[in-house]
Amino acid sequence: MPTILVLDDSATMVMSLSHILKGAGYDVETGMNGREGIIKLNDGVKPSVILTDLNMPELDGIGFIKEARKIASARFTPIIVLTTESGGRKRDEARAAGASGWLTKPAEPNQLLSVVKQLCPAR
Amino acid sequence: MAETAEANERVVCAILAEQVAALRERMDATAAFDLLWRTSALLSWLSGLLSGTSAHTGHTNPVLERERAEAITEIAEIRRALDDLAFLQAQRQDFAKQIADCVVTALERMAVAEMPAGTSFSSRDLAALYVSDEQRKLHENVLHRLTG
Repeated sequence: MPTILVLDDSATMVMSLSHILKGAGYDVETGMNGREGIIKLNDGVKPSVILTDLNMPELDGIGFIKEARKIASARFTPIIVLTTESGGRKRDEARAAGASGWLTKPAEPNQLLSVVKQLCPAR
Repeated sequence: MAETAEANERVVCAILAEQVAALRERMDATAAFDLLWRTSALLSWLSGLLSGTSAHTGHTNPVLERERAEAITEIAEIRRALDDLAFLQAQRQDFAKQIADCVVTALERMAVAEMPAGTSFSSRDLAALYVSDEQRKLHENVLHRLTG
């Protein structure tokens, strides 16, 4: 099964996203901030898609994307930013860092799955 | 006199920061979400059992078959609604906590008066703490209302 890496500092959001993605047939790896995400990637986790929040402690979403793009195995992995920020400046910043897409909260499960399935169909 | 008033304001800000921080902690609804997800998983399991039972018994009672099919459809709809509700509520809770975080940070900064002498915590400083467009829109609306 394809793996999705979910990064969010809200435990409730992580659990909620995991529940929806697992229900749709994906394996899920999680982290509470960008630093944990980088550790997972360096430990050999090879996600098909990464979902990340922007505002997180230790290493935020933008910082995570920049760091992740330096890791060979994650250089071309689609990274979707899931955040309450819908502003152009932040979006441009994320895109410049290497984000592939953007989903503004509150999003519906169907929206989320539709984006993830486009990038990586569940088997 | 002015110094006393300023000191009082700092104390009020410090107390308010603690109050909002306490409120933020009470926003945690992890147990409720956990129950929602477990219910959703249980419904999925029951639906599978209903399908499996029919396949094994091989009964061809049309009334039972129809009711079974209706139950499976109903279970699927309720499960979808539960998943949608849990996901949206989780996002709303997350957003509410972010707003509370912003208020706590602003009040804490005003309480300790880190600003250089002669300056104060401005609405621009507050705006720098925002994490969503919704907060910025609200900010703009208040400024517009107060300044005309």
